[in-house]
Amino acid sequence: MGTILQLLFTGLGIGAVYALVALGFVLIFRATSVVNFAQGEFSMVAAYLMVVFAVDLGWPYWLSFLLAIGGMALLGAVFNLGVYYPLRNRTFLPVIISTIGASIFLSNTVLALYGPQPQVLPGWFDTPGIQLGPVYLDSQYLLIIAVTIVLVAFQYWFFEHTLLGKKLQATSQDKEMAALLGIPVATMIMITFVYSAVLGGIAGILVAPVLFVSIQMGSTIALKAFAATIIGGFGDVAGAIVGGLALGVIETFGAAYISVPFKDAFAFLVLILFLAFRPQGLFGERVAEKA
Amino acid sequence: MDFTRRSVTTGLALGVAMPALLRHALGQSASIKIGMVLPVTGPAADSGKYALTGAKIALDRVNKAGGILSRQVELVTEDDQTTNPGAVLAFSKLAAQSDIVAFLGSIRSTQNHAMAPDILKTAKPVCFGGTDPALTKLGNPWLFRFRPNDSYSGRVIAAYGAETLGKKNWAIVHSTDAFGTGGAKALTEALGKAGAKIALDQGYPNQSQDFTPVVLAIKSSGADVIGSYFTFDNDLAIFARQLRQLGVTIPWVGSPSIIVAGAVKLAGPALYGTYGVADYAVDASPESKEFAKLYGAVSNVAPDNYSSWTYDAIGVLCAAIAKAGDTDPDKVRAAILSTEGYKGAEGEYNFDQFGDGLHGYNIVRNEKGLIVFDKHIEFTD
Amino acid sequence: MSVEPAAPPTLSGLSRSTVGQGLYAMAAVVAVICAATVRTDGYVANILMQAVTYAIAVCGLSVVLGLCGQINLAQAAFFALGAYAVGLGTVDYDIPFFICLAGGMGVAFAAGGLLGLSTLRLGGHYLAMVTISFQQILTVVLINAIQITNGPDGVSGIKRPDLFASSQAYLALAVAALAITGYLVWRLAGTRLGRAMRAVRDNEIAASAAGVDVYRTKVAAFAICALLGGLGGGLFAGGFAYVSPDQFAFSDSIVFLTMALLGGVASPVGSTIGTGLLILIPEWLRFLKSVPGLYLAIYGLAVILIVVFMADGIWGFIARLFRRPAIAPSSPIAPLVLKPADSGAPAALEVRGLAKYFGGLKAVDGVDFTVRRGAVHALIGPNGSGKTTTLNVVSGLYRPTAGRIFVDGVDVTALSAHKRTIAGLGRTFQNIRLFRSMTALENVVIGAERGGNTQVGRGHPTLQERARAALDFVGLGARSDDLVTRFSYGHQRLIEIARALASNPTVLLLDEPAAGLNSSEKKSLHDLLERIAAQGLTILIIDHDMTLVAGVAQHLTVLNFGRRIADGDTLDVLRQPDVIAAYLGAE
Repeated sequence: MGTILQLLFTGLGIGAVYALVALGFVLIFRATSVVNFAQGEFSMVAAYLMVVFAVDLGWPYWLSFLLAIGGMALLGAVFNLGVYYPLRNRTFLPVIISTIGASIFLSNTVLALYGPQPQVLPGWFDTPGIQLGPVYLDSQYLLIIAVTIVLVAFQYWFFEHTLLGKKLQATSQDKEMAALLGIPVATMIMITFVYSAVLGGIAGILVAPVLFVSIQMGSTIALKAFAATIIGGFGDVAGAIVGGLALGVIETFGAAYISVPFKDAFAFLVLILFLAFRPQGLFGERVAEKA
Repeated sequence: MDFTRRSVTTGLALGVAMPALLRHALGQSASIKIGMVLPVTGPAADSGKYALTGAKIALDRVNKAGGILSRQVELVTEDDQTTNPGAVLAFSKLAAQSDIVAFLGSIRSTQNHAMAPDILKTAKPVCFGGTDPALTKLGNPWLFRFRPNDSYSGRVIAAYGAETLGKKNWAIVHSTDAFGTGGAKALTEALGKAGAKIALDQGYPNQSQDFTPVVLAIKSSGADVIGSYFTFDNDLAIFARQLRQLGVTIPWVGSPSIIVAGAVKLAGPALYGTYGVADYAVDASPESKEFAKLYGAVSNVAPDNYSSWTYDAIGVLCAAIAKAGDTDPDKVRAAILSTEGYKGAEGEYNFDQFGDGLHGYNIVRNEKGLIVFDKHIEFTD
Repeated sequence: MSVEPAAPPTLSGLSRSTVGQGLYAMAAVVAVICAATVRTDGYVANILMQAVTYAIAVCGLSVVLGLCGQINLAQAAFFALGAYAVGLGTVDYDIPFFICLAGGMGVAFAAGGLLGLSTLRLGGHYLAMVTISFQQILTVVLINAIQITNGPDGVSGIKRPDLFASSQAYLALAVAALAITGYLVWRLAGTRLGRAMRAVRDNEIAASAAGVDVYRTKVAAFAICALLGGLGGGLFAGGFAYVSPDQFAFSDSIVFLTMALLGGVASPVGSTIGTGLLILIPEWLRFLKSVPGLYLAIYGLAVILIVVFMADGIWGFIARLFRRPAIAPSSPIAPLVLKPADSGAPAALEVRGLAKYFGGLKAVDGVDFTVRRGAVHALIGPNGSGKTTTLNVVSGLYRPTAGRIFVDGVDVTALSAHKRTIAGLGRTFQNIRLFRSMTALENVVIGAERGGNTQVGRGHPTLQERARAALDFVGLGARSDDLVTRFSYGHQRLIEIARALASNPTVLLLDEPAAGLNSSEKKSLHDLLERIAAQGLTILIIDHDMTLVAGVAQHLTVLNFGRRIADGDTLDVLRQPDVIAAYLGAE
């Protein structure tokens, strides 16, 4: 029982990280119909910003966090203007390639500026974790799970109960219609990119104390988050969260009871099964039939 | 007509020969070039930096002492991007420069495998750090290894754990990459000979974000000692931390990656009290102490095997060229093979017929973040 | 419209393509001879070897991506299948090189086909995911199935065929393979399959309406792409004598894709250029190596810039600079003959109890009507009455919730859209669906190519003749070689009608053909419909323009809220009070 609980806790913790990154994917996908291959790099850049502010410069953690998040908002805006906006009227393929180029650019720019050594970022709490009966709860994972819950709640409130949220939703559902209704589509997309970059950044900063800060940290997580996005049904916010958590749990239990070396394949096997038998994902994608 | 043709031919011949003649004339004062393939980008970029530092220290020493054959020695580097095709292109780019006399290859075994066909074609000595035992048994006469191969690390881990620590029930944790599987194979064999039992043989994929299932498997296996082959620092550090969090405190003897500077820094207290086999240990010998001093002067991290093997490789190579009295590849090769009792930072180099220079390992201990030399285990067979 | 005097179109087309092929053959022979004779150092030889073998795999992507518009993020996996077949085959089993190569191509082809069969019904992003998954799983298997694959150590000492044992000879072999691959891929675009792929890429719905089996076409494109991946991989294995799992990772699939897009997806020349550049750019930038990562950062930036500033890739960019003006045809065009099939059944089209629900919305709710052979029949009703939905269910875009559909007495209810087209339905769309990257003629050729078209013989020339005749019939014969995007809105509608006519349908379905036309265009549309009807072709038309409808249709069916509220002779129906009420109430 202790083993199962322990695996469940870790699975949910790592799954919450996938979920946060998946959320960023979904938001951009809904707004632009494009998969952002540089989403993982957002997490990586934010973690490095934290290392610079909190470790190298020794500034307070909260200040560093705010600065890093501000930096991510800026990066999201620049990303939109440089990588997406010029290609907005083209098919999804050039945009995908452009985001791939951005991903190569970001990871190697950080490498050039900061060097290749993995870095340590201390966690928010001084106590590394608590022992609860047979289960050890890593404090950082607890924080990650808590933040994920808060962000999901925030997102729900934001999209369902604020005017800006509704405008964003309208934009993601039908850009032409939104434009006709007088919604500034370009601004909405800009906001989406900024918010996605911030989300990815929060995920990166949260996970950095657990996985350490390295150039590769983003791409490893992003690939799994990607799978989580599909499992949840592309374009569905609740689905991304559940997909991420499910993937984390499946992976952890699969590794424990089936095979550790094949662990990375589980995510993708589950994904293929989903595509074959339930292509609409867990919650179903809103598909509008148009001729 | 005849005249014209002859003058054209002469002119052509001169034109072709001139650069070579010039080069020959200037050759005496020009430097001796050694090519080096190293990762500057990609996941192993940090190890590339260490490797370069080690090589440069050795180079400085040689050049300050007047160089070899009264010429200065120069390093020409190329990035292998931490990929196999990258390594092949990097090596062949260096190999195309005919004035390079010898090379430093990769610390990654698969990259050396990938470069091997080109090395054979180039027919010049290549010093490398990959530890797959098969590399020196390919029948490729130009490969020289400057680290003890995995058959030795496996035997040393087994010898220390089973005999010195007296633990007979083992859990082996290893990366599923070439280095990890090779090492685990060697360790399994050595443990079998030592009469120890293997309670768990657990592979993991590189860049795993979570080791909880592995740690729980170790817990339930009832093993009383861990032997490990990790490839990447961050994997090792995550594993170490989760191991401690979940309350596993049995002794742990790891492959060299457990004591490299990066892992020690990342994992912090989680690695205190562990043992590691190390080709390089600061206190192993006067030579290793000297290297530590030189390294400390140019770098703020502690030296480890990423830098010590390149340091030794440059040292042995320069000594061999000096001994051969020439940069002719065959003569240099013979000189390297006949190297005996060269005292390097990693230990004493005695090359066997296959091109393996080292035949033993140090055992070191992590004392609250400091790497402390324990003993050296040398094999003669 | 001025018509330039020029050589007969078929002849000039022929000579132009012959010249192109001759140039290509010459360039290929020169390249092979150079590869075989010009001595290079190992570095250049390795770069060339890598570029040539990669380029073959990228040519595969130009088929799936360029021609068919589908994404493949697993080309490195197919490359690996070929490479491992050659590696394991020649080393572990001592099988001759070429048999291994063929085997590897076969395995890749089968894997690509199966992957496609299982998932190509889903489009775009899903395909991206499935291919990523396949890529990841293959990598994990290559690493962990140590007994079969040698695991992470890889396979070394891979043999080459005796005849091509030297680097130079082998490079020449690889260049020859690339040249042949490039030729085949280039010519593929002009074949029936190639046209079908392009149609699918430009507009899947229009393609199926034109009788193209969209799903099979995609699977074929995918399998061909995988096959070429296998060929490239097999040659790569022989070239470098060593393969290991880390050479064929997801990141390498991304590299392949980037190569294809940078060079220009639609052409093998573009593939080769893209591959060469992407291998060379990092090599050129090596001088920046003193700062780790800098040159790859610049490379990433270059990728973005090229995508942003060269929409069709580098080759697309170059090709546009040299595009020659289209040659207008001047040879006499035979008049279009429409011979609708007639099995003797009284109705050309019969709809019984047709219903289509979207969730709780009953868009069409039990509609019956019969279209008499040779009649012009109109389906009218206010906005949202279910007209277009009915048409979409009839043509097979939607599955009906209930009801049956008969074309020429044959029950087509269970058939997919393209099969209904083959069974004799031709249609146009309310929002024009043309193949936008093609000329008017190419668009109409795809229509003429419909399976079961009795009016064309075998071979491309007769297809072209039929297509020209159809374009001439709608009055656009002189501009048949223009890109469709250069036509006015009204003319694009006419091209759509020509595309349907060229297929010689039994029933022609027209979805609001007059929408967006000015009054003179409406007048000529009216004339056109009368000329079509005069040849005995049955027409079912939806339109809001009552003048047009009343002018051409002998029979009306009126829908409101998904139900039929009237049916009968045009004049009678238009006098019915509930029809008038429905219209006035709606407007």
